[in-house]
Amino acid sequence: MTYITDIFLIAISAALINNFVLYYFVGICPFIGVSRNVDIAFGMGFAVTFVMTIAGSISWAITTLVLVPGAPFTRFIAGFFLDPGQAVQIDLTTLSYIVYIFAIASSVQFVEMYIRKFFPSLYKSFGVFLPLITTNCAILFACLTIMSHVAGVENPADVWGLSKALALSFFGGVGFTIAIVIMAGIREELDFCDVPECLQGAAITLIVAGILAMAFMGFTGVDSGLRVALTGG
Amino acid sequence: MTAEPTAPERFIRGILPENPTYRQLLGLCPTLAVTNNMKSALTMAGAVLFVLFCANVMVSLIRNLLKPHLRIVAFTLVIAAFVTIVDRLLAAYMYTMSKNLGPYIPLIIVNCIIIGRCEICASKESVLKAASDAIGQSIGFGIGLSSIAFFREIIGTGMVFGTRVLPQIWPDWVIMILPPGAFFTFGLLLGSVNYMVNRKNTSIKNRDSMK
Amino acid sequence: MTDRLNKNFLVQGWLVILLCLVFGGSLTAVQLTLSPVIEANKKNEILQIIPGLISEENSTAINKEATLPFTVSPFYVNSEKQGRHLSYAVFEAKDKDGNISGWAARASGQGYADKIELLLGLNPEAEKITGLFILEQKETPGLGNKISEIKWRDQFKGKKTDKAISAIKGKAVNANEIDAITGATISSKSVCRIINQMVGDIRPPLKMKLEESVHEKK
Repeated sequence: MTYITDIFLIAISAALINNFVLYYFVGICPFIGVSRNVDIAFGMGFAVTFVMTIAGSISWAITTLVLVPGAPFTRFIAGFFLDPGQAVQIDLTTLSYIVYIFAIASSVQFVEMYIRKFFPSLYKSFGVFLPLITTNCAILFACLTIMSHVAGVENPADVWGLSKALALSFFGGVGFTIAIVIMAGIREELDFCDVPECLQGAAITLIVAGILAMAFMGFTGVDSGLRVALTGG
Repeated sequence: MTAEPTAPERFIRGILPENPTYRQLLGLCPTLAVTNNMKSALTMAGAVLFVLFCANVMVSLIRNLLKPHLRIVAFTLVIAAFVTIVDRLLAAYMYTMSKNLGPYIPLIIVNCIIIGRCEICASKESVLKAASDAIGQSIGFGIGLSSIAFFREIIGTGMVFGTRVLPQIWPDWVIMILPPGAFFTFGLLLGSVNYMVNRKNTSIKNRDSMK
Repeated sequence: MTDRLNKNFLVQGWLVILLCLVFGGSLTAVQLTLSPVIEANKKNEILQIIPGLISEENSTAINKEATLPFTVSPFYVNSEKQGRHLSYAVFEAKDKDGNISGWAARASGQGYADKIELLLGLNPEAEKITGLFILEQKETPGLGNKISEIKWRDQFKGKKTDKAISAIKGKAVNANEIDAITGATISSKSVCRIINQMVGDIRPPLKMKLEESVHEKK
C-alpha cells in the first residue's frame, strides 16, 4: 500500500509540482523552439515521453546491474580477476554520465528505426522530432534523477525499484507535454496580440513561461498533504 | 561576410555580437536554473569554460583524423569525459557548491553551446583559433549568466555575492529567486537587448540612406 | 581486399576506440586521486556539525579544532512500522575516556515543498534534545526556509523527549511547545513530526546501548 502511494506521489510530483520544464528548467530549448502550434507541440511531447520512459528504464537497469558497488554484472565479470570481497567494492558510478548519454543516443536511434519500420503513421506524427531529442536535457535529467535514487543511497529500503523509475520518467514526460501544450495554446492566441517589437519571439515566450511557472507553484505542498492524507503521517 | 575570421576576431565575436545567451539563445537550461545567485552562476560559467576549452582544443587536434559520420560520437565522448572530470573536481574542492549545482553540472554534456562550437568551429579550425573561440564564447556565456544572476540576486535577496547592498528596508522579492523570476528576468533582459540591437541597426540604416 | 578492410568497423572507428581508451585511463586517474577527497568531504559535512549539537555551548560558536574531543562513530537503528521499514543513522559521540557524551541522529521526512533532512543532538540518556541542525530542505525561501535559522532551531534545545513536541501558532506556552514560523506552520509542524517519530523509534535502542557501554566499562 505504501509502495503504491509512493509511486502515485512520484508521478504527481514529476508531472505537476516539480514540473521538469517550469520548476527544473530542463528541456527549455524545445519548449521555446517547438511551441508555435498545438499539434506539433503534442507530437514533440509524445516523442519526449516515449524516449524518456525508455531511456529512464534503461539507465535504471544499467545503474542497478552494472554501475553501483556490488552490482551483479560487474561482480560477475570482476569475479574472474579479483576475489569476491574486492569485486563487491567496484564502484563505476563515475562513468555514469558517459554511459547515460550513449544509452540515450542509441535508444533514440533504435526507437526511430523501429517506429519507421512498424508504425509508419506514428512515425509521420512525431518521427521528425526523434533525432532532436538526443540533446534534450530533460531526458538526461530524468536519468540523473533516477541515478541519485539508486546509487549512493544509504538506506537500502529507499533505493528505487524499476516501477518508481518508470513512474518518474513517464510522468516527467507527461509533465513536459502538459507544459509545452499549454504554452503552444497560449502562443497561438498571442499571434493576435500586439506585442512590442523587441519582445517578439523568445522574450515574450519566456515571460509567459514565468507566469505559467507561477501558476504551477500553486501545486507546491500538494504532495505533502496527499502523503499525510494517504498514509496518516 | 569577409573571409575566415582570425583568432582575435573569433574571441571578440563570442563575447558580444554572437553572445551565446542573448544572441544565439543556446544553453538555456543553466541560464535559467543556476542564476539565483552570483556565486553559482560564476561557478557554472567556469565549468563551461573548462569543458568548452578542453573539448575545442581536443577536437581541433584530432580534426583531420575524424570520420565525418563518426564525428558526433567523438564529440559527445570528449565532452562527456571532460564534464565528468569537472564534476569530480568540483565535488573534491568546492563540495557545497557542487551540491548546490547538483544535476546541472552533468547537464553541461547536452548544452548546445559546446557541441555547437565543436561542430562549427573546432572541427575546421586550427588549435589557436579553436581555443580563442572557446574562451570568447565562454566569457560571453559568463556575461549572460552573471547579468541575469545579478538582477535576480539583488532584487530577490538585496544581496550581491552574499553581502547585503540594498538597505534593510527593501522588501525582498522572493519570487525573483524562485523559478518564475528566472523566466521574467531573462525575458525582460532579452527584450532590452533586442531593443538596443534594433535601435543600433536602424540608426546604421538611416546613416547609410543619408549618404 | 582493401575495400573489405576499409569497411571493417574497427578500421572505421579506431579513433573513437582510441579516445575511449585515453579517456578511460584519464578518468581512472582522476577518480583514484579525487575519490578520497570527495569521501572525506561527505564525511566531514556531518562530523563538523556534531560537536555543536552535543556540547552544551551555543551552537553558533562551532570551533572545529577546539570542540572535537569526541570520537564519532556511526551505526544504524532500524524500525519496522506498518510495513514501512525505517532506518536512522545515529552517530555515537564518545569523550576521551570512552564515556558516551551524546548522540546525533539523522532523519528525513516530508516537509511542505520537499524532503527535510535533519540532524538531532540528544543527551546520553536520550531524554533531552541538545541541538538541531537542518541538513537539507527546499522550503519556500523567505518563509519555510527559516527552519534553518539558528534562532528557530535553538528553541528545541533542552526539550524533554518523553512528550511529543508540537509547533504552536503565535506564542508557545507549555514546556513541550515551540513557536511555529509565521506563514510556514506546515514546515514547522513537519520538523516536529519528523523529530517526534524518530525519537519514539530510537529512544529504547539508544538507552540499551548506553547501559551496555556502561556495563562494558565496569
